[in-house]
Amino acid sequence: MTDTLKLHFLKPGLLTTVQDTGRFGYQHVGIPMNGAMDKHSARQANELVGNAPTDPVLEITLMGPTIKVEGSGFMAITGANLSPTCNGEPIEMYAPLELDEGDEIRFGRPQSGCRAYLAVGGEWQVQPWLESASASAVQPDELTPQSLIKKSSVIEIVSNDALPEHVISKEDILDLSDLGIIRILPGPEFSQLSNLSVASFFSQEFIISNDSNRMGYRLNGKVRGFEPKQEVISSGIIPGTIQITNSGQPIVLMADAQTSGGYFRLGNVISSDLDLLAQMKPGEKVRFVLTE
Amino acid sequence: MIILPYGDSALLVNFEQRIDESVNQRVIHLQKTLVGQEGITYTIPAYCSLTVGFDANVISENQLREFILDIEHIDAPVDKGTTYVVPVCYEGDFAPDMDEVCELTGLDKEEIIKLHTSTPYRVFMLGFIAGFAYLGKLPEALQCPRKQTPRKAVPQGAVGLAGFQTGIYPTEAPGGWQLIGQTPLKTFDPSQDMPVRLQPGDHVLFKAISEVEYEGISDSIKFGTYEWEVEND
Repeated sequence: MTDTLKLHFLKPGLLTTVQDTGRFGYQHVGIPMNGAMDKHSARQANELVGNAPTDPVLEITLMGPTIKVEGSGFMAITGANLSPTCNGEPIEMYAPLELDEGDEIRFGRPQSGCRAYLAVGGEWQVQPWLESASASAVQPDELTPQSLIKKSSVIEIVSNDALPEHVISKEDILDLSDLGIIRILPGPEFSQLSNLSVASFFSQEFIISNDSNRMGYRLNGKVRGFEPKQEVISSGIIPGTIQITNSGQPIVLMADAQTSGGYFRLGNVISSDLDLLAQMKPGEKVRFVLTE
Repeated sequence: MIILPYGDSALLVNFEQRIDESVNQRVIHLQKTLVGQEGITYTIPAYCSLTVGFDANVISENQLREFILDIEHIDAPVDKGTTYVVPVCYEGDFAPDMDEVCELTGLDKEEIIKLHTSTPYRVFMLGFIAGFAYLGKLPEALQCPRKQTPRKAVPQGAVGLAGFQTGIYPTEAPGGWQLIGQTPLKTFDPSQDMPVRLQPGDHVLFKAISEVEYEGISDSIKFGTYEWEVEND
């Protein structure tokens, strides 16, 4: 038995997009990966409603949408706590919730983290581009029109009416109350750094700047003694790469980053900590540690 | 060649760090051999490096390293890819920086067009925006610096120069390249399974067309009757 559930967006929220695990295999022609910023939480949302980990979810940023439900199905919200409610009642996160005709989902004050993930059990009727439903950062209206949520957008899901028994243990939930230390691996040009620059980078607390987005996090702060000996010939960059601009400012590339660049690559954030960084907001402080 | 770790799910293969056709040939050969192999999630070939993404649940970093080393023991065959003939109108509004390029190079317009269309250029890599192909190398006489102030919007199809490189804008984008012409062809077509026409290792031979021919080809593209011209050698 299947049913159709429709999410009607009365308000789109600050930035609400459809994301899956990403658009892989087109980076050799310059197409960004896209995909959920915090893949761990996105996957957990899908698990709770019985979907495959690669299925689409809604990525909701800081200020959430207002959604009117048509039909019935199951939903789960993970990641940032943006005070979600259903018909005015608080929604328990990390647990499936049965949706009924006419339900209204709203979000309130952000309590922790930056991005919430909303999964609905079933098959999402979203037109993919290059095998992915993830919103394209460039030309989203032409390439992935259904994946960028606007006022009066509608998302249709052929929903499951049965729910698997799936419980997420507390230890597996990202702890968003204590963010700020991010583990990295040395990058391709790391060995060219002076001792002063290495010390300066790892001893500093950087502030995530206001012009940080899904393409990259710019960090306020400067790596001291940064004088790259040679220019980097344009080369591949990937989510998690920490670039240092010629003026010494670090930029951490995120899910929507372009595929090549000519800046010095100091390090790479490890995958699990990139999920944590994605939950940090402009104005927050971040420090990096080297890991194995 | 050295293989560097690049995060926890990619490797960076660095070749001799110079921009040269023979080095890039090795990059593309390795890339083409790796694509489609189990556990490889993506590749980013560049001038003299190759980024290889892998799924650690399928292939370990060490297995991938060994695999790359094995491929590298085989000599890269000479593969010129496909050579596309790309019509470009170098006239009037299609060439907003022609005067500046004349000044910078000391050449007149006819000489610039003759030089730019004189030889096929290699697609060294794609990047910056989806489908932007870095073509080179330009004859030395044509090489000129980027514009002092980049444009906020360069139209789709604009053909520009920057240093030793030339390129075609696949979509409208900001850019600082010197614009000497425009092609009516669409190098980026999102409706296709492979939306990007020019692949790493392909070649592009530019052909000068008039404004009238430009409009004719534009119409033919609109009606879906245009066929890309491929050079056979």
